Amino acid sequence: MEASVATRTAPQILPGKVGVWWFLASEIMVFGGLISSYIVARLASSGWSAEAAHLSVPIASLNTLVLLTSSMTMVLAFGAVGRGDRRGVRTFLLCTILLGLTFLGIKAYEYSSELRAGFMPVTSPFWNFYYTMTGLHALHVLAGVITNLSLFVAARRGLRNAHRVELAGLYWHFVDVVWIFLFPLLYLT
Amino acid sequence: MAESAVAAGAGEVVHVHPEELGFWRTYVFSTDHKMIGKQYLFLGLFMAVVGGLLAYAIRWQLAFPDTEVPGWGFVGPEDYNALVTMHGTTMVFFVAMPILLGAFGNFLIPLMIGARDMAFPRLNRLSFWTLLGGSLVLLSSFFVPGGAASAGWTGYAPLSARPIYTGVNWGLNLWLLAHAIEFASFLMGGVNFLTTVMIMRAPGMTFFRLPILIWQLLTAAVVFLLSVGPLIAGAIMLLMDRIAGTSFFVPEGGGDPLLWQHLFWFFGHPEVYVVLLPAVGLAAEALPVFCRKPLFGYRWIIYSTLTTAILSFIVWAHHMFVSGMDPRLAMPFSFTTILISVPFAIMVFAMIATLWGGSIRFTTPMLFAVGFLSMFIVGGLTGIFNGSAPANIHVHATYFVVGHFHYTLLSGVLFGGLAGIYFWFPKMFGRMLNETLGKIHFWLTLITFNATFFPMHLLGLGGMMRRIANPMQYEFLQPLQPLNVFITVSAIGLLLAQLPFLINLVWSLAAGRPAEANPWEAATLEWSAPSPPPHGNWGEAIPVVYRGPYEYSPPEVAQDWLPQDRALAARPG
Amino acid sequence: MTLERAHPNYVTVWVWLVVLMIAAVLVSYLPLAKSAVVFLIFVIAAVKALLVALNYMHLKFEGPVLWAIAVVPVLLVVGLTLLLFPDFVFHHH
Repeated sequence: MEASVATRTAPQILPGKVGVWWFLASEIMVFGGLISSYIVARLASSGWSAEAAHLSVPIASLNTLVLLTSSMTMVLAFGAVGRGDRRGVRTFLLCTILLGLTFLGIKAYEYSSELRAGFMPVTSPFWNFYYTMTGLHALHVLAGVITNLSLFVAARRGLRNAHRVELAGLYWHFVDVVWIFLFPLLYLT
Repeated sequence: MAESAVAAGAGEVVHVHPEELGFWRTYVFSTDHKMIGKQYLFLGLFMAVVGGLLAYAIRWQLAFPDTEVPGWGFVGPEDYNALVTMHGTTMVFFVAMPILLGAFGNFLIPLMIGARDMAFPRLNRLSFWTLLGGSLVLLSSFFVPGGAASAGWTGYAPLSARPIYTGVNWGLNLWLLAHAIEFASFLMGGVNFLTTVMIMRAPGMTFFRLPILIWQLLTAAVVFLLSVGPLIAGAIMLLMDRIAGTSFFVPEGGGDPLLWQHLFWFFGHPEVYVVLLPAVGLAAEALPVFCRKPLFGYRWIIYSTLTTAILSFIVWAHHMFVSGMDPRLAMPFSFTTILISVPFAIMVFAMIATLWGGSIRFTTPMLFAVGFLSMFIVGGLTGIFNGSAPANIHVHATYFVVGHFHYTLLSGVLFGGLAGIYFWFPKMFGRMLNETLGKIHFWLTLITFNATFFPMHLLGLGGMMRRIANPMQYEFLQPLQPLNVFITVSAIGLLLAQLPFLINLVWSLAAGRPAEANPWEAATLEWSAPSPPPHGNWGEAIPVVYRGPYEYSPPEVAQDWLPQDRALAARPG
Repeated sequence: MTLERAHPNYVTVWVWLVVLMIAAVLVSYLPLAKSAVVFLIFVIAAVKALLVALNYMHLKFEGPVLWAIAVVPVLLVVGLTLLLFPDFVFHHH
């Protein structure tokens, strides 16, 4: 009876997928620890909304749109893997990479205009958190861009390792989900 | 049909290379889980020597304050802080975890579940090399200007949050970096452990046929993965405080030092179980083999392990009863802390009940396993004092706490870890360790361990603080100084007591008696492979599992154990 | 196996995500009580995250094990935040 239990659950799942999900679980805890700290620090003292009002909602909304769209192109690349469509895989991966770079470019522009306006990472607890949280997120975007770039190059020679597009996609969507929460936490409240 | 599908699935990961691999691929950049396990073992043992030498200097300073430490040099108060910090960090993150999780996890998980390697062999190699890099960063921090980190192994803010507060700049930054690298390494390791056990078990190896050690390693990996994140977040904030000048944990800039303590202990306490559970598992593997009896309460141990894992996430603030934390939190955290002793008590009683009525063989691994059990009980009992807020406030940050955590953690690493090394050495290296030297090692270790750590409770109750460099500066501690001298002499004895082990290790590696496949007559799967197992662990066929891991003295067979991979013909009648 | 099964319409999901994002921005300008605005905004964020997790990360098609791996850390983060409240939020007021 027990033997059937083991064989039923065994290797139907791709090993990489299980691995990536465990990795994402630990990542949820990293960003979770940071967001948790931000929430309690923000609720503990007043005046944070006034400082958050210096951030540009239009630019951040544009950036959110860019990242949401990149998630769609990433999942379309995964769909193309399913059809064995090598050109589609490469096209959509390239779109994702370019959108990721666009996000980083817009973020850099945002940073520079905030710094020019005198809002430094050390200015106040709000800016401590703002730069640390968005900075850590931007590093994750950068890591995703590099991963996607390596898949884009690899896909030129064929789709032998294309299941990795799904794994990279899981990570990329996770980074998107983090931004889905950072956007209202930092900009909208 | 399903069985064959599993076999095919397991077959996909065969990495049997018919050609000989060169020296570098075999010993250095290996992807073989067994070689990686041995690399972790030797790295952990090397770092243990470093941590042990630090302990020697610490103890000398406490017994004979502000005198020249023989063979070391002068240790002043500042250096003393660095020594204590580095001793704790080295022992927990670079000795306990590499040996208990890295070495035994990597070596034993595939062998015990019937896989040819880990799920991600190259990630495995990367995780070891990452850890080696972290160790080098940690060691290098001794040599930067300003010296090594000196804010305590817990790195409490605000002391740690500004370089000027400790006078240590790069030492502490490198300390944080070494942690980050270590965490990355064990995150990779944990992902690998979990994935491997989830999908690479041999046909017939159900979850309730896994050896207890595998359950403990799995639980430890999950607890580590889910608890370390907030500390990583905290470490990023601390690094920002130190380098960019932010004020996450600095009150004058609007930060809150208590936040660091929460983030640290949200990881710090589960980490205790990350280290302890594998040690329990190592002892639990040795006990039934040398009692020739099934492990008592196998499922209860599993349920207790899982309960411990869940509870470990809601006990952390018992480290903070005197920190200025909201007093309303003291009661619930005391409650959960006392509660977590229940599953641990179940595990301990199950292990004691395993001994009951067994035909005990007092080999060296058995001695260390029983040594772990008895020492751990002392640590567990003193934990009740620390866990309940009223008693904790009296003994907090005294030597009582130091005595307590050495009885829990060091008993796990030293007795549990050594039980594991003596038990699996034949499988790892194909040679037996010398039993006489092993027994000398055990008795000397047991005596000096107790002589070192038991008096610490008395010092603590006498009021000696855990983080002072010179007890003689307080008049009320001066009458206790003979006890400090006694502890120091015993601690030096404990360090010297490890010499028979080192001699045994080197001598047996070179010239020990060759080991047969199953020298202890054990039933788990790793003993069905040759000693040492070849690349790929088994020949053509992966073993098929028919039964649980602890079938000793069964009535069905003439010999007194029934290996997991032995099929039995249906009994007549 | 994962590659052959039916999948959601990724573009439709994207349209929903964009609509929800615009909705969140508009809600932040509504003349409501601050707490109501914050509540609405985070409900919208949670729905967006769920849409991505279910459709783009395919949790919709996964078994209970992957669900547990995804959900348990989220619960832990919520628990951590709540347990930090007494020390920070209630402490200063």
